[in-house]
Amino acid sequence: MNAQSQSQSQSQRRKNFKIEAFKHKVELDPKYAERTWKVLEHAIHEIYNNNASRLSFEELYRSAYNMVLHKYGDKLYSGLVATMTAHLNKIAKSVESAQGGLFLEKLNHKWADHNKALQMIRDILMYMDRSYVPTSHKTPVHELGLNLWRDHIIHSPNIQARLQDTLLDLVQRERTGDVINRGLMRNITKMLMDLGSSVYQDDFEKPFLDVSASFYSGESQQFIECCDCGSYLKKAERRLNEEIERVSHYLDAKTEVKITSAVEREMIANHMQRLVHMDNSGLVNMLIDDKYDDLSRMYSLFKRVPDGLSTIRDVMTSYLRERGRVLVTDTERLKDPVEFVQCLLNEKDKHDKIISTAFNNDKTFQNALNSSFEYFINLNNRSPESISLYLDDKLRKGLKGASEEEVEVVLDKVMMLFRYLQEKDVFEKYYKQHLAKRLLSGKTVSDDAERSMIVKLKTECGYQFTSKLEGMFTDMKTSEDTMLDFYAKQSAELGDGPTLAVQILTTGSWPTQPTAACNLPPEILTVCEKFRTYYLGTHSGRRLTWQTNMGTADIKATFGKGHKHELNVSTYQMCVLMLFNSADGLTYREIEQATEIPALDLKRCLQSLACVKGKNVLRKEPMSKDISEEDVFYFNDKFTSKFVKVKIGTVVAQKESEPEKQEMRQRVEEDRKPQIEAAIVRIMKSRRVLDHNSIVAEVTKQLQSRFLPNPVVIKKRIESLIEREFLERDKADRKLYRYLA
Amino acid sequence: MASRDRVRFNIGGQLFETTSTTLANAGRESMLGALLDESWNPGQPEYFIDRNPACFSTLLDLLRTGALHIPSNVPEKLLYREALYYGLLDHVRGAKWGPFDGNTLRLADSVPGRAPGDGTAIRGAPDGGCCVAHGSVVHVYNWMLEERRPISLDYQQVNDVGYIDANSIVITARERLGKGDGGMAVFSAATGELRHRFRVEHGRQPKSFTAGALSLAGLDDHRIFSSCKGRLNEYGIGVWDHNTGQQVDFFYEHPGCSLGDADKLQWLPSKNCLMVATLFPRTDNCFIGLLDLRDKSIPWCWSDAGITMNLEDKRVLHAIAMEDGHSICVINQYDDLGFIDLRAGNTNSAGTGVRWSSRSKLMNQKAPYEESCYPKLATHNGQLFSCMNDSISVFSGSEHVLTSTLRRSYGGSICDFSIGGDRLFALHNEENVFDVWDSPPCPII
Repeated sequence: MNAQSQSQSQSQRRKNFKIEAFKHKVELDPKYAERTWKVLEHAIHEIYNNNASRLSFEELYRSAYNMVLHKYGDKLYSGLVATMTAHLNKIAKSVESAQGGLFLEKLNHKWADHNKALQMIRDILMYMDRSYVPTSHKTPVHELGLNLWRDHIIHSPNIQARLQDTLLDLVQRERTGDVINRGLMRNITKMLMDLGSSVYQDDFEKPFLDVSASFYSGESQQFIECCDCGSYLKKAERRLNEEIERVSHYLDAKTEVKITSAVEREMIANHMQRLVHMDNSGLVNMLIDDKYDDLSRMYSLFKRVPDGLSTIRDVMTSYLRERGRVLVTDTERLKDPVEFVQCLLNEKDKHDKIISTAFNNDKTFQNALNSSFEYFINLNNRSPESISLYLDDKLRKGLKGASEEEVEVVLDKVMMLFRYLQEKDVFEKYYKQHLAKRLLSGKTVSDDAERSMIVKLKTECGYQFTSKLEGMFTDMKTSEDTMLDFYAKQSAELGDGPTLAVQILTTGSWPTQPTAACNLPPEILTVCEKFRTYYLGTHSGRRLTWQTNMGTADIKATFGKGHKHELNVSTYQMCVLMLFNSADGLTYREIEQATEIPALDLKRCLQSLACVKGKNVLRKEPMSKDISEEDVFYFNDKFTSKFVKVKIGTVVAQKESEPEKQEMRQRVEEDRKPQIEAAIVRIMKSRRVLDHNSIVAEVTKQLQSRFLPNPVVIKKRIESLIEREFLERDKADRKLYRYLA
Repeated sequence: MASRDRVRFNIGGQLFETTSTTLANAGRESMLGALLDESWNPGQPEYFIDRNPACFSTLLDLLRTGALHIPSNVPEKLLYREALYYGLLDHVRGAKWGPFDGNTLRLADSVPGRAPGDGTAIRGAPDGGCCVAHGSVVHVYNWMLEERRPISLDYQQVNDVGYIDANSIVITARERLGKGDGGMAVFSAATGELRHRFRVEHGRQPKSFTAGALSLAGLDDHRIFSSCKGRLNEYGIGVWDHNTGQQVDFFYEHPGCSLGDADKLQWLPSKNCLMVATLFPRTDNCFIGLLDLRDKSIPWCWSDAGITMNLEDKRVLHAIAMEDGHSICVINQYDDLGFIDLRAGNTNSAGTGVRWSSRSKLMNQKAPYEESCYPKLATHNGQLFSCMNDSISVFSGSEHVLTSTLRRSYGGSICDFSIGGDRLFALHNEENVFDVWDSPPCPII
């Protein structure tokens, strides 16, 4: 059974045995490839004809797969190209035949159809896209579809120019106020972008930019002839915003910079100079009239173009400088330093506000403003004095009733001006003088405000700058304590003599001048001597000198008809008046001899006692405004006043007289010498060897926070130091100096 | 709603039911994505596909879970073919191995070479494929480790290879005297076709040259560097743009710095410099330098001239700049790692300044035997790799502690290795076999 079946199968096998030709591969029937392609070709037709619902995706996919698998990829691919091209040529004809306004609609419609078809064709041919396309360096189906669309539709000779003209015409119509179909525009530009950025650029963007540039070139020319600067800028801003809006609605985002820069160039950059200098409406007029909106618009528009902001800045700077120069050289205005400084402050406020509201607080504009102020404030060498006088005015009375914050604001503003000063040391001199007067006369309004000012100066210029000013405050406090102590200890001995209030001023801290003391009336002299004994008894090793030129006195006087008045006078005036206790009439010379008051002071003092209306407690013969040495003075029995207390000021100009000014200058120059020398020695000590120009530069740098040293003065100081053998000239190179240890 | 979401398939006669949500994982750019897209009348009661049901089952599981489990009865190659049909090959590749970590590597495959003998180099492709330079031929493997058409540049000795991208391989080869061939060229990895041949011009005259070590600048930088030797002492480093194919620069060798013979080039983006290392035994004295191509200067260099007297001295045999750009790691014949600080300035010219890590136990282990290969170094994501004899050591952390060793006893010592496409490829010297190591995908829990 077993053996039989075996032999049977063997015989069968032998019978069927046949040698076939060796095949490398099972080749598919060539007709099969043709047939399969026909199926796919038909499917592509159906897809283009919107008839895809009856197609089987699985079958089509499998067909394409089989073609690729059996090496008919080439046939499949070239068939696709041919079929698609044929369809696109038909589409081109249909788009071309569209009438007028329907052209874009048709193109858009066909583009949407093509995209949908392309997607479906790609679905069927996905396997080809994955395996055949990369290895045979073909273009993937989707890209192929776009390229064919570009070549056969967009670049078809009957469409290309018409499309471009239509698009540009629509933009132009929108610019002149028409409403266009933005959705359609969006679709068409999107199509151009989808076809590749170069298609969008070459077929639309470049001509669009050219047309826009010439449009705005013409329009800006027209505007500039008939508009003032403000309304021109408004129009330019509106055009710019329109273009930005246009890009956001239907152009490529990358076009924004290009079109805005075209508008900026045509409407702003090309007319910049003409705009800022426009008669009656240009930048200067805007600044004068505080036109914040216009200025702000100018700033934001000019910011967009090269050199735009510097154009504004330059014009503003030269305007500020000129205006400031006029201000500081206006001799009328300078007569009242308080008003003058107030004027500067107002000017500063005005432009600060412009910069903060219209110029976006631009640092470079702030710098320009600062440098302008620095420039013109220092044109006038009275500026330090004026600023100190302004402060004096504010701290004396101006701030009465002002809140702490308001005081701070005023002080801060003045500090701004102070910063601009080159001669800060001159300011210091004046400030010291004015502060001394305020302190000694008890006229300062608020101790807090005074101290706050000192702190500000200290922050600005350092400890050294204010140490003496602070010393003055300490002296005031110590004096108060000393007087309390003096009266506590000595009240028994003093009896009911005149009350003495002594302010002990440390030498050097105060702006005192060595003046000979006048002869005090004997009543006063007694008390003074007692105080001297007391003070020197408690503080050994000190020396007291009476500064009679700085004191004040309250005296009681009885005039005719028993009118009693309390007179507030200076020490000098008190000395003069006391003389009239024992005489009714005295000549100038007699007074001078008795008091030994310096002539200049005495004249002033007499002038204020005899020549000021309402305060004339003395009568002068002959009557005149000025005091001469031949005048005779009488006690004015007829003096009346509705006040019990009468303050008799000294006739003294708040501002310095010319000789005083000269003297102040000289003192300043004198004070600068040791500072310059100290700076030179400091520099040379660390550098050992340095040439002349470098020394001058370094010294200027070190001292510029206080003043601007004159190079000639520096040279003189160097020579003086060489004489005193701190430095020597290099033997080989005469321009070099060496430090001698 | 639930029933509308459901999709029925008849795959080669076997019924499957799944949901359109699961199928959405395939993506629109796949056959299944297109099948269910609304442009193709969807909502049919059942889709018939004339394919292998077992493979479909595996792929459906991949779409459902994101994990790939290949049953023992499904050959891997069959699954790949089916995945290609459905357009899911990238899904399969992504699920096959996980993100690279030197400490979790497992042997994924061992691919035998075609002939014994010295392989020159192995390089991993960005997609997980690789190529092996062997004599005058480069064998190319895709990520499924199927061999593609081999490449040769005029059948000259191949010196170095590298991937510009997964589909473009650049090859440097020796010049044959008297013929204008050799040099450097780009080939398609898929077809082995020559795409572009790079030229070198000296004084506007095109010249033939021998190209040696290669380096690519990086992702956004299209520059490609190679050491070059021309006939008329035209030695130096050539620079090309692989986008345009044009030569963009040439750094001529300075006296005393061997550039044309360099063993290793590496672009350091953080320093804007190219590291060039020319090593023993090509030269007696190791030279490592940083080249600034902008002003043609060498802002930093190091040499061991004068300190290595005989063969037993520690010699620098390979070098690699660390990823932070602060130091260069070197290795010697005793498998010691050393570090040269790049921030120390140009003070190392006397050959000092290598901070050798103490690995004395390895030093005493065995003297290097005759047949061994020279050690090589690589870095990846902060890990440092070195090969010595038949194993690869993995060092981790800022202190470079030895954390893993990869060893296979088959094939002899390792002559080259490379990391690419989240895989490590090691080429063995004797049998010309190469091992593929990768990290497993994330565990289930």
